Amino acid sequence: MFGSTKIKLDQDLFDRIRKVADVAGYATTEEFVVHVLEKEMLHFEDAGSDDDIRDKLKGLGYIS
Amino acid sequence: MFKALRQKFRRKQGAPLVIVSGLPRSGTSMMMKMLEAGGIPIMTDSERGADIDNPKGYFEYERIKDLEKETDKSYIRQGRGEALKVISFLIKDLPDDNDYRVIFMRRDLSEVITSQNKMIDRLGTTDASAEEEAMKEAYRNDIVRTRLLCKARPNFELIEVHYKATIEDAIGTASKVNAFLGGHLDEAAMRAAVDGSLYRNRASS
Repeated sequence: MFGSTKIKLDQDLFDRIRKVADVAGYATTEEFVVHVLEKEMLHFEDAGSDDDIRDKLKGLGYIS
Repeated sequence: MFKALRQKFRRKQGAPLVIVSGLPRSGTSMMMKMLEAGGIPIMTDSERGADIDNPKGYFEYERIKDLEKETDKSYIRQGRGEALKVISFLIKDLPDDNDYRVIFMRRDLSEVITSQNKMIDRLGTTDASAEEEAMKEAYRNDIVRTRLLCKARPNFELIEVHYKATIEDAIGTASKVNAFLGGHLDEAAMRAAVDGSLYRNRASS
């Protein structure tokens, strides 16, 4: 089906992630990590925050 | 593979356009002044004159403000072999028929926003943008998007230059930029173009 890649994490960080994933009700630590990363990627891949920047740049006279 | 594609672009598109980019108030005008001193012709219409925010001038090309909306961007070709200032937000709108060397200016985001807010106050323009923390987040994303975009497009090469590091070591920055652009610039003149007294909005450290 789909390929997967392993990423090394510091043990202390992984333990913290596992605790939070458990408390937050995720089925697995992996599910939690994937969810957080996908959410974070959206910040960079979509232009959701463009309006704030556009307003600022207009005020500064850098775009019309 | 990217290297081969880049070489192909260079042969086809002629001299690269040097793009000085970054957030407004991140030192882009300072870099334009350095490049001019170093011997690179500047693509500017001098429409926006010097003022208290940029006492040495803005080095802007007015039409760039419309880059996001305009469909005919062929005028940018005229700047091949020259330096053009394009804020990071508009990098995505540069046409693909040129080869670009991007000098991306970085500066502490608190300093950038403080300086921008002072400029907006002086201009008397309205600012409907978000609060400082949200603005920082938006700018961080803008910076990452610009980096990703430049990595993904074979006709773009990018180096980052830090504003504070340039004030502290202008010759180091001059040397780095000169190497990036082929090694033909006057580094001493570039260094002399840096005026540390214009570093007025400093983050507390």
